[in-house]
Amino acid sequence: MVRVEPPVLIKDLDEDAFRARYQCDRFTATVLSSRLRYIVQHMCTGLLTNAFSVILRDWYDFASTIAGPPELDYPTPAVSNSLVLFLGTMTDAVRNAVEEFGPQNLQPGDVLMCNDPYRIGTHVNDVCFIRPVFFEGRLVGFVNLQAHMLDMGGVVPAGFSGTKRNVYENGLVIGPQLLYHDDRPVKSAWSLIFDNARFGNLLLPDIKTIYQNLRLGENLLLETIQRYGVESYLGAVRYACDLSAETMRQALARLPDGEFEGEDFIDCDGVDDSEEYHVKVKVRIRGDRAEVDLSGSSRQARTSINGGWLDAKTAVAVALKYLLDPRSPFTSGTLRNVDIVLPEGTFFSAMPPDGAIFLYWESTQPLLLAIFRALKEALGPNAVGGDYCSLNIHNANGVRNGVPWVTMAQCGGEHGPWGATKDGDADSYMVFYLANNLDPATEAIEADFPCVVLRKEYATDTAGAGRHRGGAAVVKDTLWLTEAEHYSMPLHTKAPSGFGVYGGKDGAVGAVWVWEPEAYEQVQQAGLVGFDEAVYRQATPVAGVLNPESHTLDRQGRYFHFARVPIWRTRPRTMFRYLTNGGGGWGNPLERPPERVLRDVRDEYISIETARELYGVVIQGDPQHDPEGLQIDYEATQALRNAAASQRH
Amino acid sequence: MSVYPRSSEPFLFVHKEPVQGQCPECGSYNLRRYPVLSEGGWWLVTKCQDCLFSLERERWGRLGSIQLLSETL
Repeated sequence: MVRVEPPVLIKDLDEDAFRARYQCDRFTATVLSSRLRYIVQHMCTGLLTNAFSVILRDWYDFASTIAGPPELDYPTPAVSNSLVLFLGTMTDAVRNAVEEFGPQNLQPGDVLMCNDPYRIGTHVNDVCFIRPVFFEGRLVGFVNLQAHMLDMGGVVPAGFSGTKRNVYENGLVIGPQLLYHDDRPVKSAWSLIFDNARFGNLLLPDIKTIYQNLRLGENLLLETIQRYGVESYLGAVRYACDLSAETMRQALARLPDGEFEGEDFIDCDGVDDSEEYHVKVKVRIRGDRAEVDLSGSSRQARTSINGGWLDAKTAVAVALKYLLDPRSPFTSGTLRNVDIVLPEGTFFSAMPPDGAIFLYWESTQPLLLAIFRALKEALGPNAVGGDYCSLNIHNANGVRNGVPWVTMAQCGGEHGPWGATKDGDADSYMVFYLANNLDPATEAIEADFPCVVLRKEYATDTAGAGRHRGGAAVVKDTLWLTEAEHYSMPLHTKAPSGFGVYGGKDGAVGAVWVWEPEAYEQVQQAGLVGFDEAVYRQATPVAGVLNPESHTLDRQGRYFHFARVPIWRTRPRTMFRYLTNGGGGWGNPLERPPERVLRDVRDEYISIETARELYGVVIQGDPQHDPEGLQIDYEATQALRNAAASQRH
Repeated sequence: MSVYPRSSEPFLFVHKEPVQGQCPECGSYNLRRYPVLSEGGWWLVTKCQDCLFSLERERWGRLGSIQLLSETL
């Protein structure tokens, strides 16, 4: 047998060894790797501040990367601090698109584009724009922007739907081809988009802006190479990837050897609720090596809730970064010591043409949470609670004054809570773990679309209890002022996604309701709809596990299938309510300082009853009408907590 | 693109083919060959199932088992 010595750490290389490996000194490699991250961030800022469509301008639904040249196998040393869902896919997307097109066919001034989920990940609306960078005639790398286009054709305006059954309904698929050649537009490629997609008048300036920001990235990269030399630049590309591979390797080695299993699921697909879709994960750790085996997971769904193989890869990489190695930058080297055993044809590795991919995050976010669950015991206090998981996306469209309009994930339950950690309570208004976006401003939503956002607030008694409290669920009410069509896509309502860790409790589950105009007028008070049973009785359930009579949340109730009405065609003054899942708590709630429980009651994160039942804290007063007058009954609290502690033993 | 029907089986598994030999690192005879996804894309690996040492790693399909019809031109 051969004993394999662990590689020398980069920090332990002497100057000569470092220069021999990376063709520059350590200081230069560090400066250059930071410079590459600066470049991608600069490209993103340029697009964000100049984009017209709401999905780019208000959501930040795009990302930028730099990739090294083919002879280095397209390493990705720098990714932007933007949409996480793209970061893992883009590391392979550039290789797959360029290799299919042929790197020898690229010239200075070209822009390559591709949007096929089976080739580059995510969904057809996300077009990856790739700009080859040549220095003194040599192909030295690529600057890349992947950005969500407002529309890419298909049967659903803007594309967001969990009910499309194949790639032909899904939208236009673009294999790798040139959008620009010699810095001139390839008109046939532009026409391919404009002839198949809606809202071309918005796509046109957005794509032009993307092109300009690719040129910006190219210029910044060439300036960098001019100053430091091409060999130093290529050395820094490898250095950045090696460094993140090394920190992940060290993080894996800190885990105990073993096999750790976890599971999560989504409710169903868009056909009916006869089949749940489960992800099963077995994480095997041996020293500094890991294998993430997804065998035993469910086959692909019959509609467009699926994800692709690169989305699964991204979810694994991001989960391990969150849990084990959050401090070093994400690069293509992150997975060097990790193998993913991925059955093809699952609902997160769907195959063409019937494994339609659109709501890919709905499949890969449970995959991420399954890894969180698998490792939570091994991580002990370093475990992280579950988040709200489903984007609960809502898209509406219609025509106002003869002009078509479409919303983009603004009026559903797209933002919600995270789980708590050892460092403190969780935030309650985030995008789920696999994303990193903005929150569209209410003023912009109401200016652009015929609707009024009536509520956007936290729901009491939904956060997972813990010494550190999980984030509270978000409730959002939107009143639609004109006739409209709505697609509603909540996919994780049957069981809590916000699981507790290290003794913390689970968060609550959410649901979606709609009040038709007559029902809305009957229950509204000063325009707002309350939370009493009488109010819910007038509602029509959209999705969730609810009491079939009262329509209130009821874990023993009936599941209402989210797509039993594929398109909600509504009249003016119809109101939708989205309630997200709650985030998981961290640590024993009986150890939460009573003063912090009091503050939670004052802020209506929890009720007086929950303070008593879950936290063992007795609070007296009226949180709604005299929040500053609330008092802790310390004597009763101590007695209650002592009794709870004795029951636990 | 080629056509890949939905599986009739509700749950899917990766077949790990047994391979003759001994792990040079830990001495185990429990070696298997199967595709994995890692840095650089898909790989067909021969791997020790006890210590996860890779005896061989060779490129697999760029898109996994998905075949482009245009590649047959």
